[in-house]
Amino acid sequence: MDLALTESQEMLRSTARSFMEREAPVDVIVGLQKVESSLAPDLWKKAARLGWLGIVIPTEYGGSGDRLSDAAVLYEELGRGPLPGPFFSSGVLGALTVLEGATEEQRRRILPAVASGERVLTVAITEPNTSWGPAGITLAAQGRNGSYVLNGTKLFVADATSASDLVVAVRTGDAPTDVSLLHVDAKARGVTARRLPGFVSWQCEVAFDNVQVPASALLGEAQRGWAALARALERALPLLCAYIVGGCQAVYEKSVAYTQSRVQFGVPIGRFQRVQDHVIRLVNHLDSARWATWEALWKLDGGRPAAASVHMAKAVASEAYLEACNAAHEVHAGMGVLVEYGLAAHTQMSRTLFHYLGDPRWHKRRMADALEW
Amino acid sequence: MDFEVTYTEEQQRFRREVRTWLEANVSAEVQRTPTSAEDNYRRYLELRALGRKLGAKGWLYPTAPAKYGGGGLDVDHAIILEEEVDRFDLSLPPYYDSGGRLGSASILVWGTEEQRQAFLPPIYRGEVRTWQLLTEPGAGSDLAGVRMTTAVRDGDEYVIKGQKIFVGSDNGTDRIWLIACTDPNGRRHENLSWFMIDANLPGISMQPMELMGTGGEGGTDSGVKQTVFFDDVRVPAVALVGGENKGWTVATTHLELEHGGGGRIGRNRVWDRLLRYCQETKRDGVPLSQQQDVRDSLADIYIKTEVTRLFGLRNFWLTYARKPKSYEGPQLSYYRKTTGLWMTGAILEAVGPAALTTDPTWGSSAGFLETQQRNGIVSVHPGGTTDIQRVQMARRIGIGRSTREKAGTVHGAET
Repeated sequence: MDLALTESQEMLRSTARSFMEREAPVDVIVGLQKVESSLAPDLWKKAARLGWLGIVIPTEYGGSGDRLSDAAVLYEELGRGPLPGPFFSSGVLGALTVLEGATEEQRRRILPAVASGERVLTVAITEPNTSWGPAGITLAAQGRNGSYVLNGTKLFVADATSASDLVVAVRTGDAPTDVSLLHVDAKARGVTARRLPGFVSWQCEVAFDNVQVPASALLGEAQRGWAALARALERALPLLCAYIVGGCQAVYEKSVAYTQSRVQFGVPIGRFQRVQDHVIRLVNHLDSARWATWEALWKLDGGRPAAASVHMAKAVASEAYLEACNAAHEVHAGMGVLVEYGLAAHTQMSRTLFHYLGDPRWHKRRMADALEW
Repeated sequence: MDFEVTYTEEQQRFRREVRTWLEANVSAEVQRTPTSAEDNYRRYLELRALGRKLGAKGWLYPTAPAKYGGGGLDVDHAIILEEEVDRFDLSLPPYYDSGGRLGSASILVWGTEEQRQAFLPPIYRGEVRTWQLLTEPGAGSDLAGVRMTTAVRDGDEYVIKGQKIFVGSDNGTDRIWLIACTDPNGRRHENLSWFMIDANLPGISMQPMELMGTGGEGGTDSGVKQTVFFDDVRVPAVALVGGENKGWTVATTHLELEHGGGGRIGRNRVWDRLLRYCQETKRDGVPLSQQQDVRDSLADIYIKTEVTRLFGLRNFWLTYARKPKSYEGPQLSYYRKTTGLWMTGAILEAVGPAALTTDPTWGSSAGFLETQQRNGIVSVHPGGTTDIQRVQMARRIGIGRSTREKAGTVHGAET
């Protein structure tokens, strides 16, 4: 048993932390909040040069093929921003979906460009019904003359306004899991991506209006899409959780520092037990998310059955981020809602990731199924 | 990271040896829920006998130094032992021995060589059972406010007078690990001292307190506590551990361990049984575990027990890898206690009123759910209330006071 990071993980952490401090301090994060596309080209290029976009892509497809737990160290640091951009959407969920679902030829064609940052993927799963299960996939891909035609809407697609390529889960049969994956050019005629307005971070609507997709766009085999996506999600979710853990950690550090420096009634507010209680609630959520996430990562890297742990990690982490931000707002009062202070970016992200790829209730139910109660 | 102990061939052989030994030496009866006070006492004697057998093999306190009668085993072997006794729903030691666990650890760090040689072997070999005596009527959460029990030096002896409450369990004790006031006019934190004494000295008497908990000799939870009276009890001066008026320093080790700093490994015994009960019990013809509302409740309960397990595992590792600790000890304690309390309501909601009765026909098997309904509440206070755990956390996070407080030492040499 050893719960410490390895030496190389410590090095990656330190590199990533200096990168974030240098390239993405609070004012940069706050400045990015209102842009339509989450991808900041300069940051993206630098991250590509550091090899971060291909961190989970195997070496034969141009990535560095790191273990998930190594990638998690990076994602924790990105989450501290929280750094916007399709890092997870493209480099993790997109890449793993292609890896799990595509043919060898397709992988060789797509993945190296993802690792280099030239292509930006995102996976379009849910729809106006906001279900994250296979039954929620209703967008039909009608075959016509050896090609497919798409008409409909995908919703809450992460970072779609910065994607060059979409992986779209489509219905191709009547059985619940008769789902296939299509690789669609985001600039194809009839495809429109739009960032959803409001208290949500770069979740998009993608509309398909008579979009013609060639048969060659089918990733792997028809009707095998959901199984591939499920395998990809099992490996991708803990990295989203790691990003969330980093977010919770940053919110915790901000809150501790604020209770030490903010003076009211003649003393730092951390002396008040009511204020301490918020910080304690926060750190308990942070540590719950951290250890649930890391145990899931350890199981995946070791080839152990991990489904229940992964579902638990997403349920715990989603709740933790939301509650951590709530506690931080109670600590910070007015300061916390000043946009320039930076807490609000976390708060909005915590709400966004609460539901993204399945909310706590959804994952708790899948966890119960996986445990075969 | 590695969340699991990887066992060598030698360790796997050790596990087989332990399992074979336990199967030969732990009777099925010892796992029973006692049916009467007499039966509870008989069971206690059986557990003590088992403790002595384990002690003779160095398996009662496996990581304690061999030169004082402990097992001298490394942490991996200790985990194997803990896991194997856990299969019989037992812990190490298999009876309530708070003063043995916490007193021996404190003596290892703060005692003299002579005291280690005198006090530790009987504890590690299971020859004595020891209770800790801290709380007084006027000093509960405020341990530094201990005043009522005084110890006054008289030649080669101390004379102890006063009263302690919420002590031990039932069936009596051999030894007492006691904090007392040695300077009634001294400054706070500079007026207390610890003593390891014989429980059968003249002038010591006990009176049971009936608590709403159940269990008697139930590991760390106990439904019976005692009030202990000291009426001019004379103890040899060598019983004083860590120096006169240095009791608060010694207490940092004691409290760090009592507040969860040592961590815990092992499964949650309530969870396994709760799930089995829900799978075997039908409502409206459908097993509880197949009803969505119950499944949702079970998922919430499961996650909290898993997080408790992970915090315990982390603290266990921090302790035995000798890593620096901060707020993690009281965090585990706080989380475990509040989870247990919350779970009383969650279980009651999930399974209904059957959770409240020990009736052999209508209650849960062996009344384990009824036990949780009581002990989830009783367990909130021993070893520091949930509020005290939060005070500790805040100080160690560095917000409760102007300087950050350090965790107490449990080895005398954390890195």
